[in-house]
Amino acid sequence: MNPIRSRTTRAIAVAFVAGSLALTGCSEGSKDKKDDKTVGQENAKEQQEALTFATAEESTGPAEPVKGAQQGGTLTVYSQDDVSHLDPGQIYVSDAGLLSTILHRGLTANRVNNDGTKQVAGDLATDTGLTEDGGKTWKYTLKDGITDEDGDPITSKDVRHTFERQFAPFITDGPSYIQQWLAGSGTDYRKALPDGPFKGKHLPDTILETPDDKTVIFHLQSAQPDFPQALAMAGYAIVPEKKDTKEKYDKAPKALGPYKIGEYKPGKSLTLVKNDKWDPATDSVRRQMVDKFYIEFNHDPGDIDKHIMSDRGVDQAAIAFTGGIDTSNVPTVTKDKAMMARTIQGYQPYVWQLNMNMDRIKDKKVRDAITYAIPNGELVRIDGGSYGGEIAGGLLAPTLPGFEAKYDPFNKLKKPTGDIEKAKQLLKEAGKVGMELKYAYANTPIRQEQAVVIENALTEAGFKVSKQEKDQATWYEQMGKIKNGLDLYMTGWGQDWASPGTVIPPSYDGTQIQDGASNYSHINDPKVNSEIKRISAITDPAKASDEWNKLHHYIVEQVNPAVPLYFTKQFMIQGSKVGGAEYNSFTSYYDWNKLYVKK
Amino acid sequence: MPAGADAKKLEGRSPGQLMWIRFKRDRTGVISGCVVLFFFLIAALAPVISKLYGKDPYTLYARKDFDLLDDYGLPSGPNGGISGDFWFGVEPGLGRDVFTQLLYGMRTTLYMALLITIVTVVTGVIIGLIGGYAGGRTDYWLGRITDFFMSFPSQLFMIAVTPVVVSLFVGRNEEVPTYIRAFSIIAVLWFLGWMGMSRLIRGVTLSLREREYVEAARVAGASRWRILRKELLPNVVTPILVQGTYLLPGTMLSVAFLSYVGVGFTEPTPDWGRMFAKAGHIYENAPTYMFFPGVAMVIFVVAFNLFGDSVRDAFDPKSGR
Repeated sequence: MNPIRSRTTRAIAVAFVAGSLALTGCSEGSKDKKDDKTVGQENAKEQQEALTFATAEESTGPAEPVKGAQQGGTLTVYSQDDVSHLDPGQIYVSDAGLLSTILHRGLTANRVNNDGTKQVAGDLATDTGLTEDGGKTWKYTLKDGITDEDGDPITSKDVRHTFERQFAPFITDGPSYIQQWLAGSGTDYRKALPDGPFKGKHLPDTILETPDDKTVIFHLQSAQPDFPQALAMAGYAIVPEKKDTKEKYDKAPKALGPYKIGEYKPGKSLTLVKNDKWDPATDSVRRQMVDKFYIEFNHDPGDIDKHIMSDRGVDQAAIAFTGGIDTSNVPTVTKDKAMMARTIQGYQPYVWQLNMNMDRIKDKKVRDAITYAIPNGELVRIDGGSYGGEIAGGLLAPTLPGFEAKYDPFNKLKKPTGDIEKAKQLLKEAGKVGMELKYAYANTPIRQEQAVVIENALTEAGFKVSKQEKDQATWYEQMGKIKNGLDLYMTGWGQDWASPGTVIPPSYDGTQIQDGASNYSHINDPKVNSEIKRISAITDPAKASDEWNKLHHYIVEQVNPAVPLYFTKQFMIQGSKVGGAEYNSFTSYYDWNKLYVKK
Repeated sequence: MPAGADAKKLEGRSPGQLMWIRFKRDRTGVISGCVVLFFFLIAALAPVISKLYGKDPYTLYARKDFDLLDDYGLPSGPNGGISGDFWFGVEPGLGRDVFTQLLYGMRTTLYMALLITIVTVVTGVIIGLIGGYAGGRTDYWLGRITDFFMSFPSQLFMIAVTPVVVSLFVGRNEEVPTYIRAFSIIAVLWFLGWMGMSRLIRGVTLSLREREYVEAARVAGASRWRILRKELLPNVVTPILVQGTYLLPGTMLSVAFLSYVGVGFTEPTPDWGRMFAKAGHIYENAPTYMFFPGVAMVIFVVAFNLFGDSVRDAFDPKSGR
């Protein structure tokens, strides 16, 4: 997944001093600190359960009904920002990914069953794909009766078009897994079809084959057992060939799913209405219960919470789009049982880490000293406490298979305020006492406060910290520069699907260091590089996951490119008339395909 | 008539002495003056107080005692963690001591406000005097420049320009030293702060210029510089003092405002305005954190404004309320 979009700085409300004073008074302490954290942990366990592939039978519609579901009603959705993209080819970021779960359809789709098990199911395809050579060639057959919102049938030509247009220059923001698997790594794949399919050229049959109207065969360059999971990404949803308007498609896409765009006022609102051409019999993932989704943009996070917390009028059937409960409202919600009953929580796939630029901090002892010194507990507390995150012992998130909750080589879990003594000692051994570290942070209130804590701890450990504030909006761009001239900076990364193979290669592969790449710590370790190559080729998911975890231990303990900080959690609140509210670990938001409005 | 007895009665009093006598009679003025003085005193003595009190505004006390704050980063104790150890409570999130934070924050803000007021007053007086006395084309152009500066939307300008000024002095990957921040804030507030004073002084000077004693000095061959310094300046002291005392609380609010919107001082420099920014965000859960900085600021601004009124009344009893 793209780098995490952190909570945006809230607009400053000018609270008149005297006015606000009237609201202050004596307050209760909060000695009752031990909250109910078990919910989150159970949830994590559930989230780690391996994904299974649905059979052809399980992939046929209609989807199993949601208990107590009711038809009709309008669901109001409050959002801080407009959606980033509507063209499937451009969708990588989670907000657009969420919308695409009800708008678009791909060959496969992710689903959470009513019993909580997670599956990849055939969506437009009859099943999750047939491979006879261990994952190099994948064959898909399209279901009957699938049309776009105009009623025109979808054929294998449209599927071919969908993948070929990914090579066109205007597709820049989507994922590139499949293009790379088909036609070459890095950005080399674009050479295979520089203009996309728009000038009459097509990919040869040796890459993408469509023998008849119903069959599509992918010939990958190497075995990819995760191919069906990659296909389920929003970025690979189908764009009908005849309806493709290239750049303009981003504002007015054709829906294949149960909802289509009713009215779109960019920057203001987006209304999704029922797509009457959608046939539930072809869809095992989606449902069509709500009449209308009305998404309103430009809401301040605190303001969204206030709306939904008050639970009046239309807000009774309202949810937040992607925003979790604002840190400042978390205590209010958690202390109120009635409100807590209207919330969902779960682990997000993101891990925050403090990168140590390995071009500049070459001594492992120094990196270890920094790692020991960082007080993770305090950092989490500033970013929402136990409802906002959880101390990370390693660099892999709880949402990945094989996650080890007790893995803690640097005593992060045992010492939430850091191990200053150990850090001092290591720094002395390295002979670098008083070493200067350039620490960069984004200019948001949370990061500013975290910077104070980090500076404080590192200074105590014997470093000299020079802090630099950077613009939040271009944070990842600035950190992605190889010559950023900085020593320490925080970044967050999340999986694309539940496999460490979507986390370790992008973040720790030394061969991919380039401007804009996500190897923010610039780790370039020969063993890590060769292991990544070796493990990527393993076709048995369970074995691969084992090997990834071994490599993870090696990276954390033997190389230590980044301090594990914390895993993030999602905590959202919905109105009292919202039914079927459930956390979906694929999107890390509500499962929109299960939502209904109670009468 | 015995010479001694009446000589005492006829003793001339300078305007300053008259003002002082009138001021002492004004009870509101004296009390608010004392409050203002008290604020400046505790700000100046912040290091001493902090030493006696045994805490400083930089230490994160929650690092040593993790349970000082709860899971949400709010103070664990009642009333924002007020206790014998932390008189005004504990800062949510970072666990610093609110009492010393406030003392040092006031110190930062008051010192800044004082400095800015001094430079704006000096600039305003110089430009006003020159414009008023010289008249003609000089006055015209100085007047237009003043108008030009007045037409800037000052708060927007401050927010937009302060970061730019800071970046002028500091390289891309260097930490911004606190003195540069202080300098930038002073520069920006000075840049858009002197016009009111300048206009006022120009007006006063204009009316004084034609007075006989100025004419006399001119005829006697006094230089321009001497006339400005010895004849005009002493007579504009009253408006300067009155305007200055009004300017200071306003400037203080501007300094706090800049920090409030995030372009003033950054962590870890203790700052009054930033305390508000943070308190405003979390007041529902930690009202105590808003209470002390808020009360302190309200008292200070009210006291200083009353003090300013009294100073004006004392100088110029005819314009009484």
